[in-house]
Amino acid sequence: MSLTTAIPFCVALPLIIAALLALVSRWIGRRVCDSLAIAAAACNVLLALVILRGVWSHPLIYWFGNWWPRPGGVALGICFNVDAVGAALAVLTATLTLAGLIYSWKIFEDTENHFQPLMLIFMAAMCGFSYTGDLFNLFVFFELMSVSAFALCGLKTLEPAPLQGAFNFAIVNTVGAFMIVMGIGLLYARTGALNFAQVGRSLGRTPADALVLLAFLLIAVGYMTKAAIVPFHFWLADAHAVAPSPVCVLFSGVMVELGLYAVARIYWTIFSGTLAAHEGQLREILLMLATLCAVVGGLMCYAEHHLKRLLAFSTISHAGLMLAGIGLLTPKALGGFLIYVLSHGTIKGGLFLSAGILLHRHQKIGEDHLHGCGRGMWWTAALFVIGAFGLAGILPFGTLLGESMISEAAKSVQQSWIAYAFVFAEVFTAGAVLRATFRIFFGWGEPAPTDKSSRVEEKPETEETRQRTPAAMFLPTAALILLGIAIGAVPQLRGTAEGAAGVFVDSSHYAQMVLDNAAPAPPRKAPEEPLTSSIVRSSVAGALALALALGSVFRKKLAPALNFTRSLELGNSALRAAHSGHPGDYVAWQSLGMAAIGGLFAWLLH
Amino acid sequence: MLNYLAYAVAAWVFLWGLYGIVTSKNLVHQVVCLAILQTSTYVLLLAIGFKIGGTAPIFADIPVGTPVVDPLVQALMLTDVVVEATVAALLLSMVVKANEVAGTVDPEELRILMG
Repeated sequence: MSLTTAIPFCVALPLIIAALLALVSRWIGRRVCDSLAIAAAACNVLLALVILRGVWSHPLIYWFGNWWPRPGGVALGICFNVDAVGAALAVLTATLTLAGLIYSWKIFEDTENHFQPLMLIFMAAMCGFSYTGDLFNLFVFFELMSVSAFALCGLKTLEPAPLQGAFNFAIVNTVGAFMIVMGIGLLYARTGALNFAQVGRSLGRTPADALVLLAFLLIAVGYMTKAAIVPFHFWLADAHAVAPSPVCVLFSGVMVELGLYAVARIYWTIFSGTLAAHEGQLREILLMLATLCAVVGGLMCYAEHHLKRLLAFSTISHAGLMLAGIGLLTPKALGGFLIYVLSHGTIKGGLFLSAGILLHRHQKIGEDHLHGCGRGMWWTAALFVIGAFGLAGILPFGTLLGESMISEAAKSVQQSWIAYAFVFAEVFTAGAVLRATFRIFFGWGEPAPTDKSSRVEEKPETEETRQRTPAAMFLPTAALILLGIAIGAVPQLRGTAEGAAGVFVDSSHYAQMVLDNAAPAPPRKAPEEPLTSSIVRSSVAGALALALALGSVFRKKLAPALNFTRSLELGNSALRAAHSGHPGDYVAWQSLGMAAIGGLFAWLLH
Repeated sequence: MLNYLAYAVAAWVFLWGLYGIVTSKNLVHQVVCLAILQTSTYVLLLAIGFKIGGTAPIFADIPVGTPVVDPLVQALMLTDVVVEATVAALLLSMVVKANEVAGTVDPEELRILMG
């Protein structure tokens, strides 16, 4: 069996096991169910790694039912087109799912809620999403992952808050999904094709007209809703605050990033030719969105005191950074995006699990309620501190490498100002996590000011004794955070990632490979720039984050000049009021955002 | 002309669906508005696949060269229907649970997480 035929198993196996588990879980008992799910996830990690190694040198294409395009013909079948970027995201998906499943060994006392099958379906859908080479197939996997995510988010159906979070999540994302269907429909109407390469070739290099632009707008906004780009981000904080911690790991660690991946994939395979003349304007629009996202996410992150909600806003802020990695529209920035996603995913996942440990031990999640409760939990405190500096992107972390590549790329297209937005995001998100750590684990300073969300009671996920942290919870948490450092230690990582991104953005070669059965070109390793300026910048960001956190915690003792930290912690009232918790408001923002971007398109691209 | 009218209808229904979701005061109503928004995608796909004078794309008993409507969009639409049914069922079950747990189906009153 060649490696190509093994690719669909990455999706099929977990789906089959999920169906079996859902069927027999009530008879085989909790532990067997858990073990099977963990074994399936572990298999997927291995399989995804083997596939990643296989596509390292050149992409692999699998045609379902052997419907490969005959010479001179067109692509009628559906293909999985796996390149290094997609394969790496599948590895991240499987790894985070495995960690989440191991972590959940000690939570949920029964199998009534179908947690394990849902997690496996979620994983299968996300793997398929990163492998597929077909527009409508991408949408189907998008919906499969959305629906399993809605169900996972609202798993605790006995409390009102998870229902609200899951409902808002589902409404906003489904509206986004229908925008995607409309966009796909328009593209199909124009080109009569659904395969990325085929659609891209049909559109060719003729400048985009209004229909193609509208299709791009609809599809991009749909996927950016999943990616939680401001102003499409409102659902994310509600969903993350209430989802079980191992589910948050997948939401923040990879689901959001896959939304951005889809934007990148669609842009380069389909629209890069037809929009080539407008690349500069499109770059400016995307960078504007990225900056807005980094700033709004950062400010809201610092103003939150519900730990999971705080981490959720930090994800929004970092999504802005990642959008910049795509929006710069260069292979180097895209390589940086890939490294950043991998290391951010593991670090953020680890932080969510650490927050889950606090919930397990103290049945509380608000920073104000937990004040000083964490004394003695030094190992967990260490994870929080390491994770916070990982968000700041200082030296040993993979996030530094990703961020440095994006900033270098920004310099090459005269947009180096974007680095300030990165520093902003890093200072506020890392500062918020450090501030919470100091208050919770060290009991420093006054208790945090309260806010509406931090008062929301969350029922603990566990029934076990609360005296100690079970190894099944601590080990995957620590492993994830350490992985965020280990990724940075891979030799030649930046050059390799840029090479992989170079294959990703070469749309004409992509089309030849898919449609004409052309031999794949090996990726070329790019030379790596010195990291000095990035190390300096991120060290400054880390130091500022530390200073901000200390200033917030000790503002009464230190100086009245530090009172600005209090207003930062209370947050901007208009910004807060916008996050109203009402799904109708969120959809209104979503429509407004789409109209605004559409207006910019019409103005700048015509 | 007929073709353009269908596209206009799709856009019209889409916008009304959005309006309904934004202004809804009842969760059940909101889910139904989402379903209405969804029907705009049906209209759009139908309009794309339709061909005046075309017959059903079942090639067993029609002569070669007979104009047929596009067989692919019906597959897309069927998938779309399945997706919507799943999402609507899931959302409505959440509404039932919300009514049990919080005693309200008004999104305004269900607001617990905010700010």
